[in-house]
Amino acid sequence: MNRILLIAQREFMAYARTVGFWLSLLAFPMFAVLGGALPILMQTSQPVRQVVLIEEGPAASGLAAAVRDSFARDRERRLENRREAQEAAEKAAGSAGGTAASEALNRISGPTMQFVDVPSDLATTPSGEPREALARRYLGDEVPEAQQLDAVVFLTRGEEAPSARVWTRRATDDAVEDVVRAALRDAHRRDVFQTAGIDPTVVSEMEKFRPEITALSPQSASGGEVSFRDRLPGIVGLASGFLLWSLVITGASILLNSVMEEKSNKILEVLLSSASSTEMMTGKVLGVAMLTGTVMLVWGGIGAFGLLTTFPQTAVDIGSVLLDGGLIFYFLAYAVGGYLMYAVLFAAIGAFCETPRDAQTLMGPIMMILVVPILVMQMALQTPDAAIVRILSWVPFFTPFLMSARAPSEPPMFEIIGTMVGMFAFALLMIWLAGRAFRAGALSDVKLSWKSFASAMLGRS
Amino acid sequence: MTAALTLESVSKRYGDFQAVRDLSFQVEKGQICGFLGPNGAGKTSTLRMILGLQPATTGRIEILGADDGRKVRDRIGFLPEERGLYKKMTPIDAIAFFGALKGLPQAEGRKRARDLLEQQGLGAARNKKMKELSKGMAQKVQLIASVVHRPEFVILDEPFSGLDPVNQQGLEAMIRGLAADGATVLFSTHVMQHAERLCDKVVLLARGRKAFEGTVTEARATSPRLLELEGEISTAAVAALPGVSAVEHTGGDEVGVRILKATLAPGAGGQEALKAAFLGGLDVRRFELREPSLHDAFIGLTGDHPDQDTSTKALEAAQ
Repeated sequence: MNRILLIAQREFMAYARTVGFWLSLLAFPMFAVLGGALPILMQTSQPVRQVVLIEEGPAASGLAAAVRDSFARDRERRLENRREAQEAAEKAAGSAGGTAASEALNRISGPTMQFVDVPSDLATTPSGEPREALARRYLGDEVPEAQQLDAVVFLTRGEEAPSARVWTRRATDDAVEDVVRAALRDAHRRDVFQTAGIDPTVVSEMEKFRPEITALSPQSASGGEVSFRDRLPGIVGLASGFLLWSLVITGASILLNSVMEEKSNKILEVLLSSASSTEMMTGKVLGVAMLTGTVMLVWGGIGAFGLLTTFPQTAVDIGSVLLDGGLIFYFLAYAVGGYLMYAVLFAAIGAFCETPRDAQTLMGPIMMILVVPILVMQMALQTPDAAIVRILSWVPFFTPFLMSARAPSEPPMFEIIGTMVGMFAFALLMIWLAGRAFRAGALSDVKLSWKSFASAMLGRS
Repeated sequence: MTAALTLESVSKRYGDFQAVRDLSFQVEKGQICGFLGPNGAGKTSTLRMILGLQPATTGRIEILGADDGRKVRDRIGFLPEERGLYKKMTPIDAIAFFGALKGLPQAEGRKRARDLLEQQGLGAARNKKMKELSKGMAQKVQLIASVVHRPEFVILDEPFSGLDPVNQQGLEAMIRGLAADGATVLFSTHVMQHAERLCDKVVLLARGRKAFEGTVTEARATSPRLLELEGEISTAAVAALPGVSAVEHTGGDEVGVRILKATLAPGAGGQEALKAAFLGGLDVRRFELREPSLHDAFIGLTGDHPDQDTSTKALEAAQ
C-alpha cells in the first residue's frame, strides 16, 4: 500500500509542481468566461455605423422609408426577444440573475447603425459617376472625421423589383447590406401583395404575428406546463456525460504520456524491480485520479461560485437535481468505472511506447470508438430510452458516458444495476489484462502492434 | 558458506528464441560474482528472472531464501543496463524516492542520499535537476539509488558501460565497499578486466549456456599458458621445444628477427622450454611467459569473443 501511495504521490507532484498545470487549471474557467463575454465585447466594441440612404429617381420613392421601417421593426423584435430572455432569466435565477442577464442583453442588443441626413452636396449632385465619386470621398479619410460616413446606399426601383448599390467604408462589412436586402425584400413582398389586392395592414399584421406556445408534459413537476426546472436534469445529465468524457480522456492521456516518458527514460525497469506491476499501475492511476480530481474540484468550485453569484436559483436547482435520488453518486460511480477502464488501457499502451507516434497504431482506432458516445449522448438528451441508446449503454466502454447522460431520466433499475455491474466487472478484467500487458511492455523492445499488445495481454509474450 | 543465490536448470524462451538454456550456478553470501558474456548471451534475461521481473520458462531460482525475487525485492538492489531517472527530479529526491519504494523512511533516505552523494563527489549537484547532470554523474546517482536501502543482494547489469576510466575505478571501489559491508554482488559485464580485478567468482555465459563457473584463477587455468619469443628463430625450432603444443608467428620479419607465440600444453611450465632453447643454441633475444587472461579463458571456453554481439538481433542485422 505504501508503494502505491508513494507512486501516486510522485505522479501527482510531478504535474502539480509545474507552472503549466496551474496555468491550464485556471485557463479553462478563464476562457469559459471570456467565451461568454466575447460576443458582448465584440458587440459593444462595434461602432454605430453612420448610414445615408439616397433614393435615385421618383420610382425609388418610399424605399428609404421602407429601409428605416424594416430596421426599426427588426430592432423592436430584438428588444422583444430581450424582454423575454430577461423574464426567463429572472424566472430561472431570481432577480439578481435577471438583472445580470438584462445588463448583458442590453449590451448585445444596442443599435448597430444610425441613418443620418444626406449631405447637401451628395443630395444635389446628379446621379452617375460624379455622385459615386463623391460618395467614395465621404467613405474615405479625405473629409473631416465628423462628416465621414460608413455606408452610402443608392436605392432604385426597376420595372421588376427594387434594388440597391451599397457603398461601405470597409469591404468586409456587410451589416448594412444585410439590412438593406431584408428591407427591400419586405418592400417588394408588400408591393406584390398590394398588386394582388391584399390590404397592406393585413400584411403588416401577419408579419407581426408571433405564436404563443406552451410546452406541456405529464412528467413535468406541475403535471402540466414544462418549466426550465423540468428540463434541467436532462441538461445536467448531458453536461455530466460530456464532462466525464473529457475528464476520463484527459486523465487517461496524462497517464499514457507519463508511462511513455518513463519508458523512454528507462525508468520502468527500475520501478518494476522496486514494486509490482499492479502496484505501479495502481499508484499511477491513483496519482492521475488525484490530479483530475483536483481539476474537477477547482473547476467545480469556480463554476459553483460563478453560478451562485450570477444565477443563484439555477445553482440551487442544479444542486437539487444532483442530490435528488443520489444522482451525484451515480456520476461518481460512472466516473470511477470509466476512468479505471480507460486509464489502465492507456497505461498498458504507454508501456510499449517511447513516443506518441509509437502509440498511434492503437490510439487511432480507440479514439474513433470514443467518438460514438459523444454522438449518442446528444440523442440521449431528447430520447433517453431510444433503442440504440439503451443497447449501447450496455457496452462497458460506453456505459459511463451514456448512463451519465441517461441517469436523470430515471432509466429502469435493472439497467442501472446491470450496466454498472458490467462496467465494474469489465474494469476489473481490464485491470488484470492491462497489468499483464504493462509488465510485458515495460520490459519489451517489441514494436507496438495489435498483435503484440494482444499477446502481452494474454500473457503470451 | 550459505548460498545467497541458486539457479537450477533455468531456461528462458521468447517465442522461438531460446535466450537461456539449462543454466545452473550458485553465489555465496558476501561474494562478488561476475556474470560474463558477450551481448546477447542471455545475461539480462537471467538477471530479470532472478529479480522476478520475468518468469523462467523452466527451472528453479532461489534468492535470499525466497523462490521468487519479488518476495524479497526490498532486500535487493538493482541497477538495470538501460539507465534512467526522472529528469525533473533532483538527485536527492530521486534517491529518497527509490529508497522509499524499498521501505526506507523518506527522511532517512534523504539523509543517506546526502552522505552518499558527498562520498561520490556529487554534493554540489544534489539539488540540481537530473537533466542538468552529466551521464557519468547521473549513472552514479542511479547506482546510489539502487543501494541506498543497504540491500543484502546487489544486482548490477553492465554497471561499467558508459563510464570513463576514472568513474570506472570509482565504481569498482564502490562495489568492493558493498561487499565489505556484507552485501552479495552479482554484476554482468562483457569487459573481462573489471571481473578480473573484482570478482571472487565468475560465471561465463555464451549463447544462453553456462560455459564456466568458478574463481578467476580457475577460469584462467582452463586456458593454456603462452610463451612469447623474439629473435632469429624458426617456427619449427620453437615447435620442437618441450611442452610447446602450437606456434604462431605474430610479428617481425619472415626472415631475420621474428616474434613467435607458443602455446604450452596443459600442465607444462615455461622453464623447460627456455632451458632447451638455450641448450639448443637458439638465438632468443626476448623470452616472456604470459599467464592467460580471463579474456583468453573466455575465448578458449566459449569460442566467442566477449565483445561480439551474439543476440538474434545482431545475427539478423548481419544477415
